[in-house]
Parts: sequence; structure tokens; C-alpha cells
Amino acid sequence: MARKITYQQAINEALDQEMSRDQNVIVMGEDVAGGAGSPGEQDAWGGVLGVTRGLYHKHPGRVIDTPISESGYVGAAIGAACCGMRPVAELMFVDFLGVCFDQIFNQAAKFRYMFGGKAETPVVIRAMYGAGFRAAAQHSQCLYNIFTHIPGLKVVVPSNPYDVKGLLIQSIRDNDPVIFLEHKALYTMEGEVPEESYAIPFGEAAVVREGHDVTIVAIGRMVLKAQEAAAELQKQGIHCEIIDPRTTSPLDTDTILESVEKTGRLIVVDESHPRCSMASDIAGLAAERAFSSLKAPIRQITGPHSPVPFSDALEELYIPSAAHIVAAAKSLKEFR
Amino acid sequence: MTKALTRDDLLKAYRTMRTIREFEERLHTDFATGEIPGFVHLYAGEEASATGVCMNLTAEDHIASTHRGHGHCIAKGVDPVGMMAEIWGRKTGTCKGKGGSMHIADLSVGMLGANGIVGGGGPLVCGTALAAKLRGQPYVSVCFFGDGASNQGTIFEAMNLASVWNLPVIFLAENNGYAEATSSKFSVACDNIADRASAFGMPGITVDGFDFFAVYEAAGAAIERARKGGGPSLVEVKLSRYYGHFEGDQQTYRAPGEVQNIRDTKDCLLQFARRVTANGQISQAELDAIDAEVKALIDGSVAKAKSDPKPSEADLLTDVYVSY
Amino acid sequence: MKHSSSTAALGIIANPASGRDIRRLTSRALVFPTVEKVNMIERLLGAFAATGVQRVLMMPDLVGIAAGLLRAVEGRRGQGEAAWPEVEFLDMPLTDSALDTQRAVERMRAAGVAAIVVLGGDGTHRIVAGACGETPLATLSSGTNNAFPDLREATLTGLAAGLFAAGAVTPDEALVRNKRLRLQVGEREELALVEVCVTHLEHVGARAVWDPSSIAEVYAAFAEPDAIGLSSIVAGVSPVGRRQPQGAWVHCGGEGHGMLAPIAPGLVVPVPISASGLLQPDQPVALRSLRGSVALDGEREIELDGRQTATLTLELDGPLSLDVPATLDAAIRRGALHHPAMGRP
Repeated sequence: MARKITYQQAINEALDQEMSRDQNVIVMGEDVAGGAGSPGEQDAWGGVLGVTRGLYHKHPGRVIDTPISESGYVGAAIGAACCGMRPVAELMFVDFLGVCFDQIFNQAAKFRYMFGGKAETPVVIRAMYGAGFRAAAQHSQCLYNIFTHIPGLKVVVPSNPYDVKGLLIQSIRDNDPVIFLEHKALYTMEGEVPEESYAIPFGEAAVVREGHDVTIVAIGRMVLKAQEAAAELQKQGIHCEIIDPRTTSPLDTDTILESVEKTGRLIVVDESHPRCSMASDIAGLAAERAFSSLKAPIRQITGPHSPVPFSDALEELYIPSAAHIVAAAKSLKEFR
Repeated sequence: MTKALTRDDLLKAYRTMRTIREFEERLHTDFATGEIPGFVHLYAGEEASATGVCMNLTAEDHIASTHRGHGHCIAKGVDPVGMMAEIWGRKTGTCKGKGGSMHIADLSVGMLGANGIVGGGGPLVCGTALAAKLRGQPYVSVCFFGDGASNQGTIFEAMNLASVWNLPVIFLAENNGYAEATSSKFSVACDNIADRASAFGMPGITVDGFDFFAVYEAAGAAIERARKGGGPSLVEVKLSRYYGHFEGDQQTYRAPGEVQNIRDTKDCLLQFARRVTANGQISQAELDAIDAEVKALIDGSVAKAKSDPKPSEADLLTDVYVSY
Repeated sequence: MKHSSSTAALGIIANPASGRDIRRLTSRALVFPTVEKVNMIERLLGAFAATGVQRVLMMPDLVGIAAGLLRAVEGRRGQGEAAWPEVEFLDMPLTDSALDTQRAVERMRAAGVAAIVVLGGDGTHRIVAGACGETPLATLSSGTNNAFPDLREATLTGLAAGLFAAGAVTPDEALVRNKRLRLQVGEREELALVEVCVTHLEHVGARAVWDPSSIAEVYAAFAEPDAIGLSSIVAGVSPVGRRQPQGAWVHCGGEGHGMLAPIAPGLVVPVPISASGLLQPDQPVALRSLRGSVALDGEREIELDGRQTATLTLELDGPLSLDVPATLDAAIRRGALHHPAMGRP
């Protein structure tokens, strides 16, 4: 039986192992150590939720606190990557994209193409995302679809402790800019994670569960909702196949299309808003390339076209649930 | 103390400034024929700034440039022939025809790119400077930006970051008096960009951007300070652009005769030539010979650009990623 | 306090370029921001108003001093504060160079101002002194980097200038005469108020002089031990007061003994001295070096090509300046600061 650690510990371990392996790996962001310039502990927080705790003392000088200045330090990470460093910049909440997007999509994403292939920008931008913490509209969004839209960026959305370690190690070793998104609700999730270092390649979806009736493609935390729904549906005689793309850019279209061709039914579960979402993107893919296999309309299960609400009563309504997936799967199975 | 200029240095400085001038004047002429695609922002008039700064740099030092970037590229050592091909959209261009005038970059000589986003370069040079600092290398980074960019938050963030991390960065404000068509007298609340330095805990100085020697010394002092670990500084260079914001801009917002008066009285090449010949360091014949060589170089670069191939369909999707 | 409508006008020259040259980098000189120059002028205007000055002539500029002052004047109108004198910007073409200062001074002189308040460094005062004739200067240092102008709170200088303009003190009480140096290089003639420094540097470059090894010779109209700048090199060997009828000189380099000199803020450096002596008035001396550049009051202005002859003469009939402590002292003893509405003590 392999060792079990949390999603959060797996991220910390990946950073630690890569920092030990390569002196060019640095970690920077607001309070990634926490305590710069203050009279007390210099590693007071280790990240706002403690994800980077302990790295400051293990890797002296390479865990760098920044001012609250996202354009400044995200851009600095990108500049450092241009001369061979491998910075991991933490944006804290992905919602803060709003104050540094230019550096990501106009600078990092475009250097290689604009400069005729003569630039490499091996930067990782980590951020947490997702609803469920009563953090309201500016700290709860799922913006992976915005990054996925941009050529030049790679986008990673790990759904479990094993993947988060292997994908983060791959992200750091990758030579393109990578947006690495961690769902807040997954930080405490436990799972089997090997102690040794390993990398999971991008663009390879995981078939989380095999089945022949309905294909469920789920992003990030929604993989867990899909698993919960599939267990219930199993009892009702409906066998779901769950696909976790793991990276939305590049996207493993082959695995998705093969599954849809097998089941003839597709549900996409995406916590973000419905318009121009991963749900609509994957639905469009299946409609265009697996149309003749489809036995029923494609269903997209997403949050609504509204900001994420604060009150728990509303936020629970906002987040796609296992019950939504169960109902959708049953309706597809019954479609004639 | 800034390194004293040798005769070879003076010849190199003149050749660089003349190359930039000739490059830009030629683009101005050729743009009018309609053959050059896209937006082109010319650096003519500002040559002493890029040259005076970059004469203090090595290929290991980095610069970030602006949309008005041709001069910075040439002064930092990017090949003008490849640049001309790039501006003409040719496959043989510095960026294989995929960047164009606003995105010429050559990391092999420390040129982080012209930049289509005003103020985009400030954060980037904090990164190149951070890399040098972490690795214990004596390399500096220079962020060229204009009076327009001086009002961008990215520049303020970068100045603060450079100060709190004590980075070897020089913020080189080229104040040519106009952000597009808007005067810096209107747009810069403190009027002198250099005044902003003190708010970020760094020294700020103003220097005459028509005078190569003044820029060379001032930038040299700032660069030497940064190399020795003294931290960032802000150097404001006051100068003027001869042509519009972009080619096609008739500059009706400028005073009648404003540009001609500057060309006649302050021009950096005229001043330089007058001074080095007056004190006998360089002869007029030597300067004339450089003029002829530079003209031949630019003529050749245009002829080559015109006949070089454009990129093909096979090039459309290459170099989006290292691997995907 | 008199509020006489016959009180003469005053002029204000604020050099837009002062306080931000390379000495901010090479030493730790103060950055002197435009906004603080505007603040100083506002404090002057407040003091002028208190002494009854009703009209002020100002040099316009392109970098925001005039604009800042206009904003301040506009702002006061809304707040009903005590009236400032009327500020009149001279109608003159601007070149963004020292020529602007020269022209402005000429116009103020022609307009008959009682005195010109100058905000700037040694360089600015040098330009003003070249054009002011017998119009007295009230000097104010913009920064900590100067020998000639007073480093003083502007309110006090404004008060003294206002009292002088109002006739509350006599010229004999208020004014002092300064020395100057006249430099002749070929056909070109230049003045300096503090010192002339010949350097080995070929070009005027960034103008300041901060490397002691570049200094060849220094000639000072006055060299006081408590003054910052190149004159401190002379002061270390041969100090001469502002009011003494001589100047002094040093030759630098060679095997000479070293002298610690505060040549710029934060920069106390050893300078080798090979010879020194006094300068007598109206006796031209030839410069020793004819190649390099010459700094006038701290800023390189002239490049020597090795062919021209260059001579330097100390003159005792330089510009008049306002002695602020003496003026205020005389005014107080006369009762000129008593406020009529509050009775006498």
C-alpha cells in the first residue's frame, strides 16, 4: 500500500523535489514564505493556505516574497524564464488574473511565435480556483477556459493528489509557459502518491472509470462529482465512463472522441460559466467529429451565467452537483 | 567612473547612430510607397539615447524595448539586415516574418523585444535582473520606456519591485514629449518623470537626449552603480522624435516648425560630428566614409528584403510552443 | 507694515532643470522635484503678500513649474484665502535651454523689478548673474549641492525681498556685492560665480564633475571651508571668504599631497594638490591645460581643443545679492514687521 498524502502536500513535495533537482527553479509570490521584512518568522505562512510552507528554509534565497504587485512579479517571473530560470510564480487566487493578464497573454504566451521560435519561456503560474468556500465573486472563479483560449499557454487542472504532483513536476520541466490551476476544495483530499519524483505528460487524459453507456468528461473538482454520480448511476444500471482531461491545453481529443464513439452519449461537467467554456468547447468537438456516433444530444453541466454568489444557500445552487449529473445521464439513456 | 571613450568607441557610436538614422529615414521613404505592411514607429531623432545607453552594455546585459524599438535593436547589436527583412514581412527576417516592426527581438544579444504593449517591458527586466542577481552574475537590465508608459501601472510596479529586491535595473525613460498625440505636459502629473524615482527609493536624473556624450556618461554611471549592487535608478532622457507616432501621422498637434527647429539646432548626429571634428579626435573624411558604408548597408538590406521570400503556409503553425 | 501701492515688482526665476542631474547618481545629491519648486514659489508669494508686493514677474517654462503655479492660483480662488500678488508670466519664446533664463532676466530688468528671486543651483545663478546687471538677486538653493545661493527657507527670503521691494530697508543695509570670474577661451567669454574647474575629460558629457582624477586645476572666486563642491578643493589649501578682495587657485595631480575635499554631497575624496596660490583682482592668468573641458560653477560647459588660448580674471564687481539676515535684522530694528492692527508691544 503506497503512502497517502493530501493534494496540498503533493504540491509542496513536487516543488521541493524540483527545487532540489534544479537550482534554476525558484518560487515567488505574495506570502509564498510570508514574513519578508517583518520582525517575526520569515516563513510565517508558506503561502496563504500553507501550500509552500517549509520550502523557504530548505531552499535558501529561492522562495521569494513579493509585494502585492501581480503585474510586476508575474512579469518578472516571465523575464527570468527568458534567461533560463524556471520560476514558479503563485498568483494566489486565479481571479487576480485581472491585474496581470497582459504579462501572461501578450508577453509570455506570444514570445516564441513573435520572436520566430527563438525564445523559450519556461514559467509556471500557479493559482487556486473554484467555488465552495463562501469566498464570493472575486475569489471563486474557474478561469481555465480563458487561458485555454490563448495559443502559447498550456493549462493544467489536476483533480487528485497523484496527478497534482506528477503534473506540477512536468509543468516545471516543460519549456513553455504553463498555467497550473489548483481547486481549493481539493487541497485536503488524500490519495496515494509515490515518494519518488515522476512526471505526467500533458495532453493525456485519464480514464477515471470505464463504462459503455455514457461518457462524462469532467474538469478538475468536477471529476469527484462525476465519480459520485457514476456510483449512483451504477446502482440504477447505467455504466458511465469518466474522462479527466487533466490538461485543457493541450486537450486529449482522441481519448474523448474514442469514448464518445463507444458510448454514443456525452455529458461535459465544467464548474465555470457556460458561455465559451470547456463544456461548450468539448461539446463542439464531439458534435463536429463524432456526430454520427451520438445517440442523444450532448449535455453541458456548468455553473450559471452569473457571478459566484456569497451565501451558502446560493453557492450550493451555483456549483454543479452529482444530482445534476445523475439526472442528465438518465435523460440521455432514456432519449429516443 | 564611466569608461573614457576611445577613438574606436567614437567611431562605433557614430556608426550606430548613423545606422539607426539611415534605417529609419529609409523606412519613412519606403512606407510612403505603400509597400511596407502594418504599423511602423520610427526612432529618428532619438539615436543618442539608445546608442549612449547600449555602448555601456554587453551582450549578456538585457534590454526591453518599446513599440519604437528599431533604434534599441540596432544599438544592442541586432542585425539590421534581418530587421529590415522582418519589417518587410519576410521569412528571412529576425523573427521569420512573424513578429514585425513591433516585436523584433534577439535574445542572443540580450534584446528582449520591442513591445506592442506600452509599459510591458518593466516587469520583464525585473525578471532578467533577478536571474542575474540570483546567479551572482554582474549583468544589468535596462527598461526603455516612453513618457506614455511612465503613466502605466506596470512601470510603477516594476520600479517598486526593483527597489525592494535591489535589482540591477535601469529604468530609462525616453521622454519625447508626446504619447501618441497627447503631450506629456498634459499627461505626466509631476512633469519630470525623473521626479518619480524618489517615491520608489531610487535616484532619478534628467539628461539631454540630443547629446550622446551626456547620455553615455549618465547611463554609464547608472549602469556601473547597478553592476556593483547599488540597485535600480531612473534616468530620464529628454529628446524628440522627428516623425509621427506612427508612419502616416501628420503631427498636426505639434507646433509649426517644432521638428525642423530641433533638426537644425539639436540633432544628435550634427552635434556629435561637430564636436569630435572640432577637437580633432575624428576627421570629417572618416565620418563621411561611415556615412557611405551605412548607406550601402541599408540599401543592400532593402534590396534583399524586397527579393527575399515571404513565409509559407507551412510556417503558420510552427513555433507556437516548444512542444505541444 | 506698509501696504504701499508704490511697492516695486519682484521677479522669480525657477530653473526647471535644476536638481536632477547626474549627481543624484554619482553622489547622493537631493532630487529636487518640480512640485517642491512650485511649493517654494507659493511660500514666496505668501511672504510677498504680507509685505505688500502686488506684482510678480515669472519666467514661463515647459516642464510644469508655471503650470503647477497656475493650478495653485486657481485653487486659491475657490478658497477665499488672502490675496497673493498678481503673477504675470513673461510673454517670451521658450527654447528649453539656458537662453530662456537669460531672456527672462533681461525682461525683468527692463521692467524694473526691485530684485529677482532665483531658485536653482550654482549653474542657474551663474546664468542669471550674466544678465542681471545691477538688479539684485535673492538667492535660494534648490538642493544641497551648491555654494553660491543660500540654503534657506523660502518664506524668509521672500520676506526679505518683499521688505526690500517695499523700501523698508535701504540698499546699503540689504545688499552685498559678489565677486565673479571671467573666462576667455578664444573668442568665447563666460562668467562663473564660484569656481572654474579645468578637467581632463574631453567632452562636456553629463556636465557634472565627480571623479577627482579628472580634475586638472581649479580657480575659485571664493572658497569657504563649509561650502560643498569643487571650490572645497581650493578651500582645503587656500581658503578665501566671499567678501575678501582675492580669489585662489590650485593645480591638481602629480606627486602633490592629498587633500580631502567634499566635492559633492556624500562624496569626500582625496585630491592630489601640486601647487596653489591667490588670485588678485583684474590680473588675468593663463589656464595651464588647453585640452579637456572646463566646468563653470560645477558644470562642464566648454570643450578645449588644444588650440585656443584661455585666460581667467577675478573681478570684484559681480552681481548684487540680498543679505537676508542683514535685511531682516534692519527691518526688525526699524519696526517694519509691526502689524498696524495689533498695536505696538
